[in-house]
Amino acid sequence: MTSEVPPDVGRLMRWRAPLVWLSLLMLLAAGMAWLTPLFHWVEPGARQVIYPHGDFLVLLGRHLLVVSVASLLAVLLGVGAAVLVTRPAGRDFLPLVAQFASMGQTFPPVAVLALAVPVLGFGTWPIIVALLLYGLLPIVRNTLAGLEGLEAGVMEAARGMGMSASQRLLQVELPLAAPVILAGIRTSVTVNIATAALGATVGASNLGAPIISGIVNGNTAYVLQGAVLIGLLALCVDSAFERLQRGLGHPGR
Amino acid sequence: MIELFEVTKRFGAETAVDGISLRVESGELCALVGTSGCGKSTTLRMINRLIEHDGGEIHLDGRPVREFDEQALRRRIGYAIQSTGLFPHWTVARNIGLVPRLLKWPATRVRARVEELMALLGLPLEQFADKYPHQLSGGQAQRVGVARALAADPDILLMDEPFGALDPITRESLQAELRDLQARLNKTIVFVTHDMDEALALADRLVVMRAGRIVQQGTPLSLLRDPADDFVASLLGGEDRGLKEAAITPVSERMQPLSPRLLPKARVHQSASLRQALSVMFREQADRLAVVDDEDMAVGELSLRRLVEGRRDE
Repeated sequence: MTSEVPPDVGRLMRWRAPLVWLSLLMLLAAGMAWLTPLFHWVEPGARQVIYPHGDFLVLLGRHLLVVSVASLLAVLLGVGAAVLVTRPAGRDFLPLVAQFASMGQTFPPVAVLALAVPVLGFGTWPIIVALLLYGLLPIVRNTLAGLEGLEAGVMEAARGMGMSASQRLLQVELPLAAPVILAGIRTSVTVNIATAALGATVGASNLGAPIISGIVNGNTAYVLQGAVLIGLLALCVDSAFERLQRGLGHPGR
Repeated sequence: MIELFEVTKRFGAETAVDGISLRVESGELCALVGTSGCGKSTTLRMINRLIEHDGGEIHLDGRPVREFDEQALRRRIGYAIQSTGLFPHWTVARNIGLVPRLLKWPATRVRARVEELMALLGLPLEQFADKYPHQLSGGQAQRVGVARALAADPDILLMDEPFGALDPITRESLQAELRDLQARLNKTIVFVTHDMDEALALADRLVVMRAGRIVQQGTPLSLLRDPADDFVASLLGGEDRGLKEAAITPVSERMQPLSPRLLPKARVHQSASLRQALSVMFREQADRLAVVDDEDMAVGELSLRRLVEGRRDE
């Protein structure tokens, strides 16, 4: 036996926190029924204490899907827009984009849902639109900050050495701004995991469903089940991002 | 060879560079000096088109720079700046290999060139190749910056106050290294600085700028002895001009053969400057010095009178 940790195990150890949250989340989603006595204690009067309309694993999967689609679109749009308006050709649109992104954040997601339902109908699409708009600001703001905050000398040298605009963007600007951009994505995704629960009000079935149902029926046990799972999911994703950010901090920092 | 013909640059209503003409011969080190905002950096950056000139023409070996592809032009001109501009997320070796890689050299050739340059600039490969810029001292980082500028073996090197942020000792040693390097590589160098001692020590040709125009140009010696006006005179050191001239004249130039007289105790190395010789005389209260070589053997002597009046014989 040696005291040295094999590299594979070492890598796994660094992902310990996200893995712990993930196993807790999966365990609870799969085996909520085991906690029936606990929820009976929380809600002694109710006949049914475990949310009955849908498997928690399925709800979790749908929740994750909605957040992933919305976040992916927000990243593509947000980073793309921020990159475009920091190029010489797009610089005129910088104030407009920055303003639009902050507007998306100040506009309450509930209002977006209310406005989106008549257009997109009930279901998953309105909540994806709401999350997309809501999640755009941190990504746009951080990408702008990351790209604008690059050291002037580095950019001057990159130009002076004869790098083309795309070489500068891909080899210098984005890698150097990556930690700041990732921090923005992290904020956006984590907030959206919580906000996605609102989708249940317009008929999207996700982890918000037990919460809404619990509120409507006065069943605290349902609310707790949805809330705990959403909380664990947020912790799991957030700690994974933290790990990712640390991995991204290149040795030159 | 770099030629500027009536080159002008305006920023809005302000004229930064006002119709300057300049010719830098191949293998020449030309220093642009002047107070802040005189247009010297703008002039430098117009040569590799980081700034486009508004009027006049800039030629590189007889061809207008506007005819070159912008990127191709910059890849054949070395560029070193005060802040080094090293990429913080790249290792020293990767930073140095930037331009060769942009020029699509094969990987083995890039690696060989990086090793060659690191040796040339006194950066031991095993010690520095995998370091990141933030792990370097100011002097080391600037060496890497110069190595990167030289990587693709450009004929022309543009340097914008490359040693401006260094402490005096590091600065002097890097200046000496640049002088040695230039003696070996024979590049055409345009060098911007506001450190007059640096300009005098390095330049073959000194160009004094003021408010976007060239006030005077020539060899350091000719400007020191015959400044065009009070501005040039004061920029070159005012009453200190004599000492500045002494500082760039080696002892060997005024040294006399050993006389039968007793050899003086005070000594100075033959490669020292007249200024240093003067300082030794002042310190040792001697009006005669023995001039010695590397082995500390006397090869000649220098008297105060000869030191001061030596020019008369030239």
